[in-house]
Amino acid sequence: MGKTVPCSVCGATATVHLTQIVQGQITKVHLCEGCAEKGGAGDPAVFQLAGVLSQTDIPPTLACSACGMNDADFRKKGRLGCPACWTALLPALEPLLGKIQCGVHHLGRSPSGVTYSPEQAKMRLEAARREMDEAVQSEDYESAARLRDLIRNLEGQIA
Amino acid sequence: MSVRDILSSENELTHMLGAQQAIVLSTRIRLARNLNDHPFPGWAKAAQRAKVTELCLGALNPMPKFRRAHEVRMEALPELERAALVERHLVSKELSGGKGGAALVSRDQTVSVMINEEDHLRVQVVKGGWHLRAAWHIAEQLDDALSSALPLAYSDRLGFLTACPTNVGTGLRASAMLHLPGLCLAGHMDKVARALGQDGLAVRGWLGEGSDAAGNVFQISNQQTLGLSEDTILRHLSGWVRNVVEQEENARLRLIESEGEKFLDRIARAFGTLRHARLLTSGESMANLSLLRLACDVGMLPEARRATVDRLMIEGQPAHVQLRAGTELDTEARDARRATTTRDTLADFPEPSAPKLS
Ligand SMILES: [Zn+2]
Ligand SMILES: [Zn+2]
Repeated sequence: MGKTVPCSVCGATATVHLTQIVQGQITKVHLCEGCAEKGGAGDPAVFQLAGVLSQTDIPPTLACSACGMNDADFRKKGRLGCPACWTALLPALEPLLGKIQCGVHHLGRSPSGVTYSPEQAKMRLEAARREMDEAVQSEDYESAARLRDLIRNLEGQIA
Repeated sequence: MSVRDILSSENELTHMLGAQQAIVLSTRIRLARNLNDHPFPGWAKAAQRAKVTELCLGALNPMPKFRRAHEVRMEALPELERAALVERHLVSKELSGGKGGAALVSRDQTVSVMINEEDHLRVQVVKGGWHLRAAWHIAEQLDDALSSALPLAYSDRLGFLTACPTNVGTGLRASAMLHLPGLCLAGHMDKVARALGQDGLAVRGWLGEGSDAAGNVFQISNQQTLGLSEDTILRHLSGWVRNVVEQEENARLRLIESEGEKFLDRIARAFGTLRHARLLTSGESMANLSLLRLACDVGMLPEARRATVDRLMIEGQPAHVQLRAGTELDTEARDARRATTTRDTLADFPEPSAPKLS
């Protein structure tokens, strides 16, 4: 018998071993049956995440006081415990976000009633200007008009 | 309100006519949202999950969009009914098998909200055909209504906070369901999937079990949710969907031109199998229905028949077959039932004729 490898997502014994290329890098992913099925039938991002989380032997150094989850728990489960974990475990999450996301700053909408901080508004404004240029170039005038309104609104928030 | 009511009532996906969903079957927007100060479902205790369910249903039920909505508690449902809801993509496998899951499905089934899936709230908007902006518009309004009714977990820097780092930020997963028999028959689907993957989009089989693409139906969706605005995500998807639709149209043309009589033979054989088989596995049924669907698109069968083919695809899935039979069935009994329904449904179909291309 060969030695068993833990599932990169949940830590159970892995039975599915995948090699895939994520953003030009070869990644090995080990999955248990449950997580493999989920990756196929459910969220495709599971595979990508599993590849990044695959070192699970590191002892915890951070913990969330609101829900008790620590960074080792997170590496094992691949899911956070509560919204406050995003603050408490952020140092462990930032490198991960760099690999699986398009940056570490939110550029999308906010809950109604929450206005942007000046810093956030500035970043959104830059992005919106870029998007408007793209929209005009691709002759998507509907988007361009919407973006123009957004830009005015953001300029108002910064001033 | 029972699951049978949901499954038997007409909705955009099972009863739509018209040319627009020849290649794009449906468009889908999903938003992941969570309540502040509550542990995420996977880390919460049963009582905490129950509390979240009550808070969410309390906020959603009064919304006009959910007037006379279907409310379902997963644990109260028999297994077959849960499986049928998964086959309809109204709820996820994860919700149906998890603890304390609930769902609210709007009367017209365009909007559904899953409660206590991986996140507290998963809002889903589905439109038949290709209607990304219209679907997004509905999602946006719901999101506004949600955030004024509930304290949502949001940070200025990271956006909407989710249980999984793959959803944080916008929490947006926008997707299109495409029927791509031309690209599959031509052997180009792998190449297309790779190109999409390299450009930040995920491709996976949509119908049937696991990741194999039964019926040549694929879902294309964005992978990244943070560092991009919703507008960018939607435009990126939109551009690629248009591109893939064009590639599919070209693949169909080339196939019909190069195969000639052989193409008509393919369609006629598929039709013959579906019309006469006594046992139809779900895989065989999907593969042949996909060809019949293609025949409707290229004028070999009346276009108005496409909706019937679509319905057979959905209703031929295992849980649907068993629910219709009113009992659990073994594989062979399922295959027999599926064959009977298919034969009966196709009985008045005309024979496929040579393709008519405009
Ligand atoms: Zn696992
Ligand atoms: Zn926490």
